[in-house]
Amino acid sequence: MTTTEQAHHTQAPPAVPPAGARRLIFGAGWIRAAWMSALFAGIGIGIVTGIRALAGWEPVWDWQPIMTVAFLTAAPIGYLVGIGCFDYWLYYISGRPTRAEDHSSHGAHSWRDYFRVNTDHKVIGVQYVTTTIIFMLAGGLLAMFFRAELARPGMQFIDPQTYNGLVSVHASLMIFLFIIPAFAGLANYVLPLMIGAPDMAFPRLNALSFWMLPVAGVIMLSSFVVPGGAFAAGWTNYAPLADVNPDGNIFFQMAVQWAGASSIATALNFLVTIITMRAPGMTFWRMPLLVWANFTTSLLVVVATPFIAGSQFFLLFDRVAGTDFFRPDGGGYVLGYQHIFWFYSHPAVYIMMLPGFGIVSEVIAVMSRKPIFGYRLMALSLMAILVLGFSVWAHHMFVSGMATWLRVPMMITTLLIAVPTGIKVFSWCATLWEGRLHFTTPMLWALGFVSMFVIGGLSGIYLGAVPIDIHVSDTYFVVAHIHYVLVGGSLFTIMAGIYYWFPKMTGRMYDERLGKLHFWTTFITFNLTFFPMHWIGVQGMPRRVSDYVPEFANWNFFISIASFALGASFVIFIYNMVVSWARGPIAEANPWRALTLEWQVSSPPPIFNFDEIPQVVGNPYEYGVPGARHAVLNGGGARTEELEEVRAH
Amino acid sequence: MRKGAIVTMVVIGAIVGAVVACIAVFVDWLPEQASEEREGIDFVFWLTTWICVGIFTVVASLIIYSVMKFRTSPDDDADGLPIHGHTGLEVVWTAVPFILVTVISVASGVVLARNQDAGNNPLRVRVTAQQFAWSFRYPNGRESPVLRMPLGRSTELRLHARDVLHSFWVPQFGQKQDAVPGIETRLVVTPKKLGRFPVICTELCGLGHAVMRSRAIVMRPAAFRRWLARARANR
Repeated sequence: MTTTEQAHHTQAPPAVPPAGARRLIFGAGWIRAAWMSALFAGIGIGIVTGIRALAGWEPVWDWQPIMTVAFLTAAPIGYLVGIGCFDYWLYYISGRPTRAEDHSSHGAHSWRDYFRVNTDHKVIGVQYVTTTIIFMLAGGLLAMFFRAELARPGMQFIDPQTYNGLVSVHASLMIFLFIIPAFAGLANYVLPLMIGAPDMAFPRLNALSFWMLPVAGVIMLSSFVVPGGAFAAGWTNYAPLADVNPDGNIFFQMAVQWAGASSIATALNFLVTIITMRAPGMTFWRMPLLVWANFTTSLLVVVATPFIAGSQFFLLFDRVAGTDFFRPDGGGYVLGYQHIFWFYSHPAVYIMMLPGFGIVSEVIAVMSRKPIFGYRLMALSLMAILVLGFSVWAHHMFVSGMATWLRVPMMITTLLIAVPTGIKVFSWCATLWEGRLHFTTPMLWALGFVSMFVIGGLSGIYLGAVPIDIHVSDTYFVVAHIHYVLVGGSLFTIMAGIYYWFPKMTGRMYDERLGKLHFWTTFITFNLTFFPMHWIGVQGMPRRVSDYVPEFANWNFFISIASFALGASFVIFIYNMVVSWARGPIAEANPWRALTLEWQVSSPPPIFNFDEIPQVVGNPYEYGVPGARHAVLNGGGARTEELEEVRAH
Repeated sequence: MRKGAIVTMVVIGAIVGAVVACIAVFVDWLPEQASEEREGIDFVFWLTTWICVGIFTVVASLIIYSVMKFRTSPDDDADGLPIHGHTGLEVVWTAVPFILVTVISVASGVVLARNQDAGNNPLRVRVTAQQFAWSFRYPNGRESPVLRMPLGRSTELRLHARDVLHSFWVPQFGQKQDAVPGIETRLVVTPKKLGRFPVICTELCGLGHAVMRSRAIVMRPAAFRRWLARARANR
């Protein structure tokens, strides 16, 4: 235990816990979460039926508002209160004594601490990553179910309602519960370390952001058990189909609220952390590109996410409360839904991409032993994507029937995004040049990402050009494109990040051979699964169909088999992660010989990250520059001796 | 850069370029071309394809060359050459993509304007989409579950939806348009080939979405006129 840690513990001893059964039932934790969820659900039912009875609305017992208010709003709040997310604030509000320096819920001392509310950004980061991996596996299984159905034309195993449900929940889980929060989780772990901060700016808000996430995931998945079936209008949930969908649709609308609230809170936290908590000397132009990437992503999240929240609330009111926002019969504006939805969901594409750009920049620079090529232009192109990203939403609507003149300006801005994106790709390639490349697992994922993202980016040019888009819109070509950017792009970078920081997060090393095997099996089966989709799309196969013409039978069979192999390749990943975490060799503090700050402390880092505040003295990627240093640390770090030497000069 | 390195680069580039170009040329990418609008669409498609083949070749060759040339053993502790950037190069790879996307934008804009133009004598057909069927009504009041069109004359489809969103698509015509409840949308098709083509709904519209199909039948103008007149007589 370090001295600071001891100091904190002696300063603020944990409150004397109430003894025995009382503590078990009333203390923060899963038991309290269980009964409080039930209690809050009951209160919710009381409010709805009470108001309906008083107002004389028939029937008093109406499932739709009860589901919305009691089960999808009140019960999750009960669970959050029960698990302990609000304890500190409730103590403060009710005037009971609180300690400003209360660190009793900080840091993990045993595996049990990962199942409790914890304010340590490192614990939260691990909680995030493992939770999102679980949802990724769930989403992948759903995809394999519907690929089994699509292996042959005609209907085999499932009915169209189940099929549409599987497709919709697959996409929603992967987007809202895997890619977006997985990036938030990785950044949660490494970002404070990278900027030399002891934690995030708002640790309790950080914990709350995480604990809202399982709520969203459980709601999405449980829409399958709703009478009538899961939400089945696609993840885009277009009106008016959403209105005539089964009640499972409410589950999507509310799950998005929980995931969105979590996302916004995290983004605010990142912004404040980056702006106010950088170590001395860490100017904006000395920040690692991962920090830059999360800075721009967080700006996107804060500005854009309220739009999807709004679009889903309007839809919910149309369904439950009888409003007419998007109902044509009542004067509603159907296309309005799409405009609001895409005003979030296009920037969301960059929310799912920019943090990956950051991860890959770290990995490529370190594994090439070279400074990142054109660092400033790399940071500026992130900002360019941020700004342009808000001006392209209607390219999802070229065939929607919106004002026809809007198509050309939206096409121009869309194609212009290729410029900053191209700058990034060329700069990564140039970073490799004259480097000394180490093909470790993270590097393989990073290079796999660059090559697959080029394909995804180029198919994006086809989709940006209006005449081609009119032909391929809503076909398998689009399915191929989104999977090249979200799997070949986002998932590959998440994998690069997980392998790269695995030694830092767990203190143990993963199995390099299994890591490489995982990469190659995923890389090959991914291409076999998704590349043929370009062709069947252009040829005439629409997306989101449970049945198709026999003409496409052979390719669909091939794609289904390849997709099962793609799913199977993740067994290697899970095995490697679980076994290495439990029994892998102890990792060094800095196995990659990286310069950024997170590698200058032990693996895993001490509870408050740095024993003394680090002093940043140079750029983060000065590999090969004689005598260059990114930061100077006094104690505990791996390069202490070297740094002592530097300071002596 | 040494001469040997340049030769290696060129060889890798030629191989990658040849492979990608073969995929572009020898795979039968586009469906049969059956409308005049498709001419413009196919032009933009191939323009984009050749630009993409070029960009992909450059990037892939760079990566392959670097992987072959600059790899090192795991116990090599040395660092690479500390190159921080090169303003000239950075200007080039900002400017060249900018020019290329401008070219694609201009070509797309021109084609789009042309494909929206129905000329001065279009056949107007009112299309009604509902879960899960298509209906086509002609100016003389004749309704048909299949779309019959005369060869060589622009047909202007006016699309309506009864319940939810649907989308009209005939892959061989290359034109697609959503039908939206509450508003009228518009699509121009000028068939240039006789035959029967599938009409496909491409916007998820519910349980029967996959089977919401019809046919488009392109007829000789005289035959089409006879069909329309007979239809009137039948009413």
